[in-house]
Amino acid sequence: MRTTCPYCGVGCQLEPEVRAGRVVRVLAPDLPPNHGALCVKGRFGLDFPFSGKRLLYPMLRERKGAPLRRVSWEEALDFAAHRLHETLKAHGPEALAVFPSAKTTNEEVYLAQKLARVLLSTHNVDHCSRLCHSSSTAALSRALGGASMTNPLEDIWKTDLFLVVGSNTTETHPVIAAMIKKRVRQGARMIVVDPRYTGMAEAATLWLRVRPGTDLFLLNAMARVVVEEGLWNRAYVEERTEGFQAWAESLAPYTLERAEEVTGVPGERIREAARLYATTERAGAYWAMGVTQHTKGTATAQALVNLALATGKVGREGAGLNPLRGQNNVQGAGDMGALPDVLPGYAKVAEEEARRRFEAFWGVPLSPKPGLRMTEVFEAIPEVKAIYLIGEDPMTSEPFQDHTKAQLEALPFLIVQDILENETTPFADVVFPAASFLEKEGTFTNTDRRVQRVRRVLDPPGEARPDWWITRELGRRLAALSGRPWPLHEGPEAIWEEIRRALPGMMGGISYRRLEKEGVRWPCPSEDHPGEAVLFRERFNTPSGRARFFPVDYTPPAETPDEAYPLTLSTGRVLFHWHGGTLSRNSRLEAAYPELKVEVNPRDAARLGIADGERVFVVSRRGRIQARAWVTDRTPEGVVYAPFHFAEAPANRLTQDALDPISRIPEYKVSAVRLEKLD
Amino acid sequence: MRLKVDGKEMEAREGALLLELVQVPTLCHHPHTETRGLCRLCLVEVDGRLSPACATEAREGMEVWSDTPGLRALRKTLLEWLLLTTDLSLAPELQALALALEAEPGRWGEVPGRKGREAIEDNPFFLRDYAKCVNCRRCVDACGDGIMGVYALTLTGRGLLAHPTTPLDRPLPETPCVFCGNCVQVCPTGALRPLTEV
Ligand code: SF4
Ligand code: SF4
Ligand code: SF4
Ligand code: FES
Repeated sequence: MRTTCPYCGVGCQLEPEVRAGRVVRVLAPDLPPNHGALCVKGRFGLDFPFSGKRLLYPMLRERKGAPLRRVSWEEALDFAAHRLHETLKAHGPEALAVFPSAKTTNEEVYLAQKLARVLLSTHNVDHCSRLCHSSSTAALSRALGGASMTNPLEDIWKTDLFLVVGSNTTETHPVIAAMIKKRVRQGARMIVVDPRYTGMAEAATLWLRVRPGTDLFLLNAMARVVVEEGLWNRAYVEERTEGFQAWAESLAPYTLERAEEVTGVPGERIREAARLYATTERAGAYWAMGVTQHTKGTATAQALVNLALATGKVGREGAGLNPLRGQNNVQGAGDMGALPDVLPGYAKVAEEEARRRFEAFWGVPLSPKPGLRMTEVFEAIPEVKAIYLIGEDPMTSEPFQDHTKAQLEALPFLIVQDILENETTPFADVVFPAASFLEKEGTFTNTDRRVQRVRRVLDPPGEARPDWWITRELGRRLAALSGRPWPLHEGPEAIWEEIRRALPGMMGGISYRRLEKEGVRWPCPSEDHPGEAVLFRERFNTPSGRARFFPVDYTPPAETPDEAYPLTLSTGRVLFHWHGGTLSRNSRLEAAYPELKVEVNPRDAARLGIADGERVFVVSRRGRIQARAWVTDRTPEGVVYAPFHFAEAPANRLTQDALDPISRIPEYKVSAVRLEKLD
Repeated sequence: MRLKVDGKEMEAREGALLLELVQVPTLCHHPHTETRGLCRLCLVEVDGRLSPACATEAREGMEVWSDTPGLRALRKTLLEWLLLTTDLSLAPELQALALALEAEPGRWGEVPGRKGREAIEDNPFFLRDYAKCVNCRRCVDACGDGIMGVYALTLTGRGLLAHPTTPLDRPLPETPCVFCGNCVQVCPTGALRPLTEV
């Protein structure tokens, strides 16, 4: 039976072959987006549902300090509903938060955010993309009025130049990387902006090795060349954009000379990149965490948007602005309204008309005040007194781990709903065991807005239940306590039908029946509509219909190396693992990459007397972790790189919680560290 | 464009492969890897000459025969040689075809083959059991130009001794292999198969 990969935003279609309750082989059908190809995670990493760490029974603890004990679903749900309701009565809606998960289905996210808004009256709803693409979302929304990939993945075959910034695509979106690299073998060119010699850098026509955290300077310098040499698209800028003049003037300080000093990239190479991008008609920009996870993440994404607008690349086939979404359903979680400032379909909480529509649709009054973002919720403990956490592991994913731990300890009430035990489960007051993607029905939306089916090929183990069922049942009890409306959906398809009615212009044409065949891209207003491939062909989603330039200025990273901490730590992922490692490290993938390796440049290694494979401490102002040194020139001199998948050596114990002022994303990509030999 | 297939007039679009017009067995051909023209199982007669249907485009006025006694004999012999040299126990389609063509591999006597080779288990994900390999090269193409651009697999040896392997015969983890398993998916004989299946 066909289903959708649960790891990354590519959304590969796969056919797990199940024998005697086990996945024995995974094939990929010849359908978009992957057309038969998979990466190691989708191919060999789907055995986490069989892990010994599966949560099998509901559990609760009466008071802090008591052990978790196994209880019935009835008891766990009643207990949780009462505690949430009491908190609401005693402390008001601001004291509660619900975190749906970008790993659960659209239907489940929709229901969870609805529970928060309708039954708990709070907009304190957010999910993990706060920590990955919130910067892109902020930049794209204000400039274009929409925050997704503007072009479909099929456009890769029509693209003549790829501008890939801060994306280790070969390891984080491997199937997309394989497509791009194949297109490059067919003759397209590729500019890669990255401090590390990644698989993409290896395949690039032009690799610009920037110093970590300086891409914004480089992009502005490219833009300055474009303006100075008259390579910008006059007709496009005049017809379709506003704010060009002020932006063009703001570029004055970004000369090639200065850029060379700041970024470390020779000025002539920057000029070459600028010319190539501006003069290739079908030039598509792709980016990921290397752009977003900085204190100036939003500004850097904005710089990329500005550059694309000036050269007329948005709304064109084979071009566009394409943030590569991380989690399998990050796109869907945003679409479904798992964000504190927007309702489903990105309707702004603060806008009266939007709010009215949902008040009428759900039959409850909604607060006009946006809620708190995830990072702010953790800061607001203990004023925030209860969190309903679905499929997230903040202990591993939040920056500055020791601080997160203290906050979780101070939180009066925590519900953890998940499939596997993780680093956060010990803090739970109630544990709801959830069904994995192999054990339930629903839809995920991949990085290029394609809504695709998830199908049940196995029965959930023990007493585990699908997330939608758990949220529905919790909602049923909250509704009884508060007297608010809570229609009981029979299953995922019924929830999807409500979503279609809630978002007719976006999802109206997408029915489960249609999805039997293959995924459909939103916006899709009617059943005979094919689904939109390229966004903004005619107009942008802003009030004026024009895209807006926003001048952005370079600021150095929040922490720079000094004598005590002379190296820059950059964090990221490796091919074999996924995020906090909860899934991948409970699968066969663990065998291929069992422990933390930190990349160290040979020159730094020589200076510090560190040999390849030696154990070292990585130390920052906030903590230390142990790792094995991998001496390699993939990473530049002065920079060490560590993946953050390893709970026993969490890179996020070292990272700081300096935030982007707009998106509130933490600066995961730059912190000052030193290496110490173990003995 | 019109042509004649097995005595019947047919309409075909420009650039169509003969494979789309006739029913012939295939082995090395695969749409994702664009591997073609290697195994000779799909040979057809085109204007009196033998051509692989998977690598020949239809042309105006062509005359194609796909199922002559000569072609059948040829396919039968090819299969007999495969059966003699290779362990086809995990290739049910080839076995069925051999049965349908009444293949009798025994009539060639003993032939030195790869059947005795030991399977290579050098990674946590899949096995390379070249006793079962028919040299179709789909895996090599999937890993290389066809899909991945990784080139962790290459062909070594010539003629009957040709077989796929890693560069310098290194264990897979010491090559650029990323364990995507795309080679495993396209392998038609079970020579590459997930460890979970073993
Ligand atoms: S590329 Fe992403 S969606 Fe595709 S198989 Fe790999 S992890 Fe799954
Ligand atoms: S698994 Fe390794 S050998 Fe096979 S196609 Fe992928 S990269 Fe190549
Ligand atoms: S291993 Fe499989 S795919 Fe590769 S050449 Fe042999 S039979 Fe073909
Ligand atoms: S299938 Fe045509 S030669 Fe192999």
